[in-house]
Amino acid sequence: MHEMSLVQALLAQLASLAAEHDKKRVITVTLDIGPLSGVVIDSFQFGFDILSAESSLTKGAKLIIINPPASYQCIRCAYKQAAVVRPDHCPKCNETLLIPEGGDTIILNQVEME
Amino acid sequence: MCDSCGCDLTNNPNHNHDHDHGHDPRVIEVHQSLLAANDAIAAQNKVHFEAMGVVAINMISSPGSGKTTLLEKTIERLKGKIRIGVIEGDIETDRDAQRIRAKGVPVIQLTTGGACHLDAAQIHKGLHLLEKEPGGDKLDLLFIENVGNLVCPATFDLGEHQRVVLVSVPEGPDKPAKYPKAFISSQIFIITKTDLLPYFDFPVDEAKADALHLNPRLQVMALSATSGEGFEAWIDYLEKLSGDMITS
Repeated sequence: MHEMSLVQALLAQLASLAAEHDKKRVITVTLDIGPLSGVVIDSFQFGFDILSAESSLTKGAKLIIINPPASYQCIRCAYKQAAVVRPDHCPKCNETLLIPEGGDTIILNQVEME
Repeated sequence: MCDSCGCDLTNNPNHNHDHDHGHDPRVIEVHQSLLAANDAIAAQNKVHFEAMGVVAINMISSPGSGKTTLLEKTIERLKGKIRIGVIEGDIETDRDAQRIRAKGVPVIQLTTGGACHLDAAQIHKGLHLLEKEPGGDKLDLLFIENVGNLVCPATFDLGEHQRVVLVSVPEGPDKPAKYPKAFISSQIFIITKTDLLPYFDFPVDEAKADALHLNPRLQVMALSATSGEGFEAWIDYLEKLSGDMITS
């Protein structure tokens, strides 16, 4: 359940952004969570619901999670395809060994505050 | 950096920030990794490892897959050839550190007090403690034995040079398919306890194929620390890794 640690990092970042911009309440938080980041989105949402309620800054804030694709490069023909769910094979040459690239990041993109 | 438009102020001396670029002033663009703080410390750790001339190896597996036993046997085999240090990570107790200390190498136990993984800040602290141990500042290889967990440790870069993921024969061959992140982010996959293969249904080729399907660049080894079977490939890999730092 390392999602809790990540939610704590997010809340710390929100607190410092609010202080920096003199804001009192977070309305929405937009995150990119890659399909290879090792984060279970339901667990992250669960952690956010619990921990965000503990502070007046984040109470009631809405979490918007976007799942961007990762890139998969064929080991034989080097063809690259983007996909959220890991493809079984290369559509060009049918090779099954594909090297994953990216899709492992957890990015705080946007915060709406007032 | 301008909070509204993300432009770099240092490169735009004439850029006037009295305006809001037409954005909603309530919306702040951040575009920063939640792991940015961890990753920054991990990068410092790597600089620290390199200043010490040590190669750091992060070992990730479920509890009970044989990480500590593998380290004990590795220390026995490389004693006098390669200087080894160990940072042990566990939720509670210093039992693993006691086992490693009995082998006569510098070791530090980190207890996370409930957290399911080690992070870069803990390694930073552990490294400073290890350097105070006799011989802890002159190492060729540093093993970081992560908290027993095949999921959470995979997300946290510690600044290591190599990541090793282990699965023991009794755990079953389906672990790569079920816990992909640890296998995608590692360089080495070790199947441990191969002396138990006669007693368990563990098709080694299937586990290897599943792991390579996830990460075609993964180097796969199968060994038993108890019988010594397959151990040479692991020792060869470590000797190559420590390279010209071998003292002899």
